[in-house]
Parts: sequence; structure tokens; C-alpha cells
Amino acid sequence: MSPRRSISSAIGNSPVGRGSGRLRAALRPATSSAGRYFGKHQSLSVLVGMAVATAILPLVVLIPPFSGFGGQNDFVDGFASAGVFVLLAVGLNVVVGLAGLLDLGYAAFFAIGAYTYAYGASPFSGLDVPFWPMLLVGAAVAAMAGLLLGAPTLRLRGDYLAIVTLGFGEIVPVVFLNADKYTNGTNGISALYQPALPAIGDFGFINPWPYYITVAAIIAVAMMLLYRLEDSRLGRAWMAVREDELAAASMGINTVTTKLLAFAIGASTSGLAGVFYASKLGLVSPSQFGFTISFTVLAMVVLGGMGNIWGVAIGAFVVYEIQSQGLKQLNNFVASSGIPPIHIGFVNVDLSAVNFLDYQFLLYGLALVGMMLLRPEGLFPSRRRKQELHDVDDAGASNQELVEA
Amino acid sequence: MDAGILTQQAFNALTIGAMYALIALGYTMVYGIIELINFAHGDVFMVGSFVTLWLLSTFGVQGAINDPPRLTIMLIVMFAFTMTVMGLVGVVIERFAYRPLRNAPRLAPLITAIGVSFILQNIIQVTFSNSPVNVPRVIEPQAGATVQLPQFAVANFQVTASPVTFAYSHIFIIVLAVSLMVALQLFVGRTRLGRAMRSTAIDREAAQLMGVDINTTIALTFFIGSALAGAAGVAWALNYGTTKFDIGFQAGLKSFTAAVLGGIGNTTGAALGGFLIAFIEVFSSQLGYSRWSEAIVFSILILVLVFRPTGLLGQRLAERA
Amino acid sequence: MKPRPLAFIAIVALVAAACGSSSGTQGPKAVKIGVDLPLSGGELPNGDPTIKGVELAIDQNPVAGYTVTINKQDDAVNGIHNPNQGATNIQTLIGDSSVFAVVGPFNSNVAQAEIPKSNSAGLIQCSPANTNPGLTKGTTGADLRKSNPTKIAYVRVATTDDIQGQAGADIAYTVAGAKSAYVVDDTETYGKGLADVFATEFAKLGGTVVGHDGVGANQQSDFTALLTAAKAKNPAFVYFGGVTATGGGLLRKQMVDVGMGSIPFGGGDGISDGSAATASSFLNVAGPQGDVNSYMTVAAIHDIPNAAKFASDYKAKYGTEPGAYSASGYACAQIYLQALAKVGSDREAVRNYVTTTANVFPTVLGNVSFDANGDTTQHIISYYKYDDATKDWKYFEQKDFTSGVTTTAAP
Repeated sequence: MSPRRSISSAIGNSPVGRGSGRLRAALRPATSSAGRYFGKHQSLSVLVGMAVATAILPLVVLIPPFSGFGGQNDFVDGFASAGVFVLLAVGLNVVVGLAGLLDLGYAAFFAIGAYTYAYGASPFSGLDVPFWPMLLVGAAVAAMAGLLLGAPTLRLRGDYLAIVTLGFGEIVPVVFLNADKYTNGTNGISALYQPALPAIGDFGFINPWPYYITVAAIIAVAMMLLYRLEDSRLGRAWMAVREDELAAASMGINTVTTKLLAFAIGASTSGLAGVFYASKLGLVSPSQFGFTISFTVLAMVVLGGMGNIWGVAIGAFVVYEIQSQGLKQLNNFVASSGIPPIHIGFVNVDLSAVNFLDYQFLLYGLALVGMMLLRPEGLFPSRRRKQELHDVDDAGASNQELVEA
Repeated sequence: MDAGILTQQAFNALTIGAMYALIALGYTMVYGIIELINFAHGDVFMVGSFVTLWLLSTFGVQGAINDPPRLTIMLIVMFAFTMTVMGLVGVVIERFAYRPLRNAPRLAPLITAIGVSFILQNIIQVTFSNSPVNVPRVIEPQAGATVQLPQFAVANFQVTASPVTFAYSHIFIIVLAVSLMVALQLFVGRTRLGRAMRSTAIDREAAQLMGVDINTTIALTFFIGSALAGAAGVAWALNYGTTKFDIGFQAGLKSFTAAVLGGIGNTTGAALGGFLIAFIEVFSSQLGYSRWSEAIVFSILILVLVFRPTGLLGQRLAERA
Repeated sequence: MKPRPLAFIAIVALVAAACGSSSGTQGPKAVKIGVDLPLSGGELPNGDPTIKGVELAIDQNPVAGYTVTINKQDDAVNGIHNPNQGATNIQTLIGDSSVFAVVGPFNSNVAQAEIPKSNSAGLIQCSPANTNPGLTKGTTGADLRKSNPTKIAYVRVATTDDIQGQAGADIAYTVAGAKSAYVVDDTETYGKGLADVFATEFAKLGGTVVGHDGVGANQQSDFTALLTAAKAKNPAFVYFGGVTATGGGLLRKQMVDVGMGSIPFGGGDGISDGSAATASSFLNVAGPQGDVNSYMTVAAIHDIPNAAKFASDYKAKYGTEPGAYSASGYACAQIYLQALAKVGSDREAVRNYVTTTANVFPTVLGNVSFDANGDTTQHIISYYKYDDATKDWKYFEQKDFTSGVTTTAAP
């Protein structure tokens, strides 16, 4: 089936109504030749891309400013943690970027996935289910939670949905915190079992490599599946709903099911991330899954370029590394760079005397604002969204002319 | 049942609700006009409480002022100064963090709002402290009118009443908040600038065609919203006598919830939502479920939205995706 | 994954090894004490005085043949302690071969994430502040160190919450003479643990707990509603499980506002943070009327020989009073420096020396030794009450809670 045919079968053959140029743009297939090539071979490009990235990243430690920040294992461990956020971001991208639903409580599903693993594989429950099936269980439980939350609330529009998800994101940690008979309360559940593989045995606590490879593999599989979904009938329905829900509904798309599926699929990816995160850290506790996680992941998606799976993945990686490594290493970096004190008139700037740990918030905030102002569509804007935006810009420009005329 | 305690709790809820409502107004006004969830708004409120602290320490105020004329002047100066400063801060934030993104994807300004929130918090941490800081309470905190409600029995049901204390500082905060809300309603409803704000909220382009200066109108909205948050900051300092760099997050979260509960974009709704949330919180505590109060607030919010999808007083718009 | 990871790892490892093996052997050997604490945002006031204690110890206790420096790691993300960041940090410290021992972490859930790693690597950690019993004791403690069950790699110099909660109940019942108490906690690990033990022990002594409520992170500025409800129950004592930053001072301040100022108030060492003149301390936030009738326990002996010298040295170097955990940070570093002088900088030797139950370390906290779980064997709790003359906490008694027997220790 050619992409064009599948679009028309997804939306029916009725003419696209007036005023939905953005919808038309959303449904327009990607046109560049590279796009067409990778459109057909996305699974391959994900596989090759992830393999190359997985292979190259650990070599970062050899490049001068980074080599002073720690050993190779530290980097690999940090990358494995970053992988958790990459997974979260590509999952949230389905909800926010593809289906256009603002989810401010995404951490709730992350928590649900992580706690699912804690129940399945810890001394607390007495169960010892291996990690690999738990990945699926965690994803399924999180997806169910997504359906449960979504079913009554998805008819809400726009930001009313956002606040419902925000509320859900606040409720879930409070429940994990206060239902202490079932969750061990504020202490959380610790000493979770580590994943194991026949060839390697137990992954243990010290060697980050098995975790790193595992998370890379999970990301690769998730991204392949998500690329396929994006290009499927469902993916196009998501974009149609995102651009104009009424028009999409009038063309025969079941908007409720479409949105529910976006929610469930986004949640299940978050559940996967939760299971991996819990197994790597060996601990779940309510305070780890607060609002800041939801926000951070949202920032990753928007900065990466909503709707663009690769872009979002890279955005997540960059933001995580800035936050958990970059800002913490600034003192070392400045100390080793030997930037001399600057004296301009009465202004004396001695960077080496500044404790950058005190300014982490400020620098992170400035980075967020600066990146958004420079690239409002994200670092790697989705091709389709770009087209839509330009349609809108054209409309805006013509209005402007009218005003001036 | 003790009617005295219930009355006391209702009074507590009114005081807290007044502050939530003031902050919620800023959320709802900004949302109404540019559809932005301004997540830095809670931090504007927080900075307001620190501006008050700075002002009081500049004047050398140490504690309660017991001389009524001096107290009145001090209160006027505190509110006028803090509200003006915060209004201007709001305008500056809009100019540099939101205006350049007016035609960008809708979520872009949301992210810069988060960034601005971090920046404001860090500035306060570095210039003041990472820890709670005391603010002198200019109204004697323990002064108040104590009232004995009548006790009575209905059949076998005895209604007792322990004495209720209406602290003057709380009465002041409630009266002030209600006056500001009424003034806002009058401004938006009766003045030319208010009309410009309303028309911009309904249809920005049409308003522009009719000669409304969009940039000024949006800046004005930010000025008023942030000034109200500043007023809430002063009220907070008056009431608690303590502030901290991270109070903006929790207060902002609740006020935003209040705005949505009332129907976002609707100023009366925001005020109503603020008081409602405070009542829910206070009565969860009264029942001994403080630790669940946040979950209770949000569960009620979700339930309300399921049955009234645009909040309590929200317009029922056919399309506002 | 398609590319063979193992082969790839081998290549990378070789390259890495080739790059990093050229260090001279003259002069004193450079070794590091790793420090993992929250060092940014709202938790900087916890971490900063503690790391300064470590720095001071290193300054004042040189070890011949070694230059000791600090490898500093911040486990706060967005200003809040984060177990995942803690795990990354301990990984970094394990990876730094010059680190022979680690001071930290500060928070219990960070410890839960770090203990399995340090245990697995055999790198000793000394926490200046963790007091949650589950980190070392019972099955949860054993589960956390399952990689090397017999090789303890986590010790702590503060005694656990179960003992301090018991002391709090003793103050309320015996010292303040209260027969009923209202308990408030901050829903966090330290506060909830302390409050739960207090409630149990207070009931055991014969008192009545008239109410127990908790206030979560987003509620910790307004306690008036909770206190109005509590006031109606006429408690003779109010106990707070938590720290000043999670509302300790504000709770006491608002007790005065709602007319409960005359009811005695008690808390654990989470509210032990200096005199009323110290900015942001419990006594400072609670205000003069709140300070009166406030009690506090500290999990350490009071009459340390050189406590005053420590405080004055600290003040001379940093210009501020020591924080609640400065002395603990100092003690952890002292123990490590003694081990370094004795057995050298080999990690396993240091770990073994520190955790050998027979070894006693003279520190600023008094003589410290560790039991088979890595807990301090010192179970003395000191009692303090606010003193209006000095505007500060005043020591009045200390009790030894070893093996459940409460004996008044000679002061």
C-alpha cells in the first residue's frame, strides 16, 4: 500500500473542509527524497542510528574537556540513566507531539511502571519475576492506568486535559507515599532484584555496561515501533486529531479511541522506562516521581522538536546531560580551563571564584529560555509540523498585510 | 459538633483562599488573553514576598507596628510598592520570554515559563537565602476579635461552640483581596482598557483590526496579573511572617488548579476556585487527613471536570482545542 | 544490538587504559575522600556545613605521606536530593581510583540507592546524617548489602530514629509530664519514622496520642487548619517529626498564632540548627514566643571534650556557626584519616579497619565504634530545652538507650 493510498483510506475521501489547511498539511506525505528513503527504511535507520550512537558515546571520555570529568564507566552509567529519559521523552512525544494532547502528569505512569517492577521483583513482595517479562508487565500496567485515566477525561479539551493529567501526576505519588501498608510509604521499596541474562548472569550494581546496552536496545525497539505507528493509519489519525479535532471527527476518525490509544501507548513507553529505571537503581520511593520529572520530560520533548522521534530522543539526551552532568561539572571545567580573571574598569570577573553549583537553576533556566527563543520549534523540528507552521505563518502574514493596507 | 471550630476553620479557609484567589487571577487573565499557562506566575508571587521583606528591612521595621496611622501608611506603601515592582517584573518577563514566541508552537512559551521560574528562584536564592527567611509582621499577629457563638441543642444533638478568634491580620487580608477582585472586575468591565483586554481575549486579530494595540494590551494584562500576585506575596508575608524561595511552586500549583476549577479565563471563576480549594484543604485537615489533602483536592478537580468539562463557571465553548 | 558490544567494550577499555597510565611516584601520595551530599537549591543548608566539617577535618588532621583532597559530588537535581543522581555519583566515586572512602549521603532514599553499589564495590561510606533504622538493621538492611553480606561498607555516626523517637517520648512523658500528645510529621523518611516511633513509645509509657497527622511537601507553609483541629483535642504536648526546612519552625510559630503557645513542643535533631540569632534556624523561625517551652533531642553525647574548640575553629575558618551535621561530617573524615594513617589508602584495608567492631575511633563526637551492622555503638541521646537567657538550646540531661534499657548517663 502506498503512503498516499493509506492516507485517503484513513481519512475517507470526503473533501477536506474549509479552514483546515493545517489538517491538510498534517496529512500531506513527506516529500523530500531523503524523507522518502528513510520513510521506507525507518526501522533500519533507527537500528543503525542507535548502534552508531551506542558505540560512539562512550568514546566521549577521550575528548579533552570531558576526559577530566570522570572515568569511562561514569560516562556510561550517566548515559544509561539518560536512556531512561530518552524513553520517557519518545513516549511523551506520542501524546504531546503526535496526538497534540498536553500531558503534565506523565511521571505518574513512570512511577506506576517502576512500582510494578518493585512488586514483581523484590524482597518486599517476595516475588522474583525476571526482568524481561516484567518489562512487558510494567508497560501493560502503565497502559491500563493510561486507559483508566483517559477514558473519562479525554473528552476534555486543550488545557483542561492538561490539568487533569497534572492532577493525576500529583495524586499518584501521594498515594504511593501515604498508602504505606501496601507501598512501604515514604521509605519506598528497596533492594530490588537486578536484571540477569544467561550469558552475563546478574547485571550487578557496579558495571554500567549491561544496563547501557539494555537501555539502548529498549530504546531502539521502542523507536522502531513508534516510527511504524507514526506512519500507520493510527499515526495519521493522531496528527489529524492534533490539527483539527472536529474536522478529523467529521472525516470518520474515531477521535476518542484515537486519543485513548495515544495515551495508552505513551503510558506504556513510560512504564517500560519505569521498569528499567527501578531495576537499575534498585529502589522506588514516592519522592522520585514528582512534578519535576513530568516537567523535565515535557521540556525535553519541546526542545527536541515535538513530533520528531529522533529529535525528541536527542533533545532528551542533551537536556539530561546538561542537568545531571554538565551543570555539576562546571566548577571542574572552569578550574581546568584556566580562564584568567577579567578586569574591565571596575568590573572584576573571576570565574574560578564562582561556585557554579549555586547557579545551577539560573543556568538551566537561561538554557531553557535561550534554546526556546533561538529555536521555537525545537532543535530538530518535525518536517510535517514545520509545514503546518509555515501554513499558519502565511495566514498570519496575509492578515498583517491587510492591517497595513 | 462544635460550631466554633467549624467557624474558625471556615475563617482560616477564607484567609488562605484569598491568597490563592489573588494568584489565580493572574493565571486566568494571562490564559484568557494569550492561552499560556504561565508557570512562572507562582514565582512572581514568591518574589513579591521578598520585595516586601526588602522594603521592610530598608525601613528598619522589626515587628508589629501598633500606631494605627503609621501602620496604615506602612501597609499602603508595602502594597503600592510591591505591586508596582511585580507588575513591572511581569511586563519584563512577557517582553523577553513570551512575546518573541507569540507565533511559535503553543508549548514553546510554556517551556520558557518553566525556565523563567528557575531563573527567579535562583536569583532569590543567591540574593537572599536557600532557607526560610523571617519577614516582620506589621500587623500584630495575635491581635483579633474573639467571639462566643451561641450554644444550643436540637433534640438530642448538642451543638457546642468554643470561642472563635478573628485575627485582624486575617480580616485585613480577606477584605483587601475582595476589594482588589472587585476593582479588577470594574476595570475589566467598565473601562476602555478593560474592553481592549476582553476583545483581545476573544479575537486578537479582530481586536487589532478595530485599533486595539495588542502589545500594550497584553503587557497591561501581565502588569495587572503580576501586581495581584505581588499583593498576594505581601499578604503571605503579613500572614505567615516567613517566606522561602520555593513557596511559589506550591502556591502556584494550587492557584492554577483554582483557576481551572473555576473555569480558566473567567476571573470570577478564579476567585471562586481559590476559595473552594482552600476550603477543601482546610476541611481535610479538620478531619485529620492533611497528608491526603493534595490528593483530595485533585480528585475533586478531576471529578468536577468530568461533569463540567470547562470548570464551574467556564464558558461552554464548542471549540477551543 | 547488532555491533558486538563485548568486542567493542574491549577496544574502548584498551584505548582508555592506554590514555590514563602515567603518574609519578615521588612525594606524598595524592588520595581523596569522596563526598556525596546535596549541595544546591533548598538543600544546600544541609550539605554545605557538612562538607565544611569534612574540609576542616582534613585541614586539621594531616596524615604523613599523603595529601588528602575532596572529590565533591552534588546529589541534588533541581534543588532536591535525588537517589538516581546519588547512584550516579557513587558510581563516579567508585570509578575514581584515588578515592579511598566516601562521606555521605545525607538523605535516606539516596542511601538506599547507594548502599548496594558501595557494598558491591567494597568502598566504605560513612553517613553523617542518615538515621533511618531500615538502612542497616533487620531484613531490609541485609537485603541492601546482599552482594557482600559480611563486608559492611556503610557506617553511620548518628544513632537511629527508633532510639531518638523513644527519647522524644521520654521527654514528653517524663520531663514535660504530658499525658496526651498530638503528633505531626512531614511525611518524609526521617520525620515519619521519628513520629511513628514517638507515637508507639509514648503510648507504651502510658500516654495517649490524641491525633497524628502529616503534612506533605506542598502543604508545609500553612498549619493553621491542622492546629485548629489539634487544639480542639486539648493535647498536653505537640511532637514534630521533621526538620526546620519541612516546617518545624513554622509549625511552632503558628501554634502561637492559634493560641497554643503555652503547650510544650518537642522534636528531634532535625530542629537542632543553632540559636535564635542564627538565620533560618528553628528557634529563629519559631520566634521568641514559640521558643519558650520547646524541647529537642540530639543523638550524641553532649559533653564532648573539645566541642567548644570545634565550634570556634569552625567559626574562625568559615565565619559561621557549625551546622547540625558539621561535627558529624568532621567525625566521618576523622575516622577515615585515622584509618589512612594506620592501614594506608587501599580501599579494602580501610573498609576492613573502619568496620572492625573492636576498633575505637576518638572523634569530635567522642569515641566511636561500629556494631556488626555498621551502626554506631553509642546510643546516648542528649536532651535540650530552650533557654530564654541565652536565646539558645540548653542541655539538661542525657540518657543511654543501649539495649532498650534507659539509664541516666552521668553527664
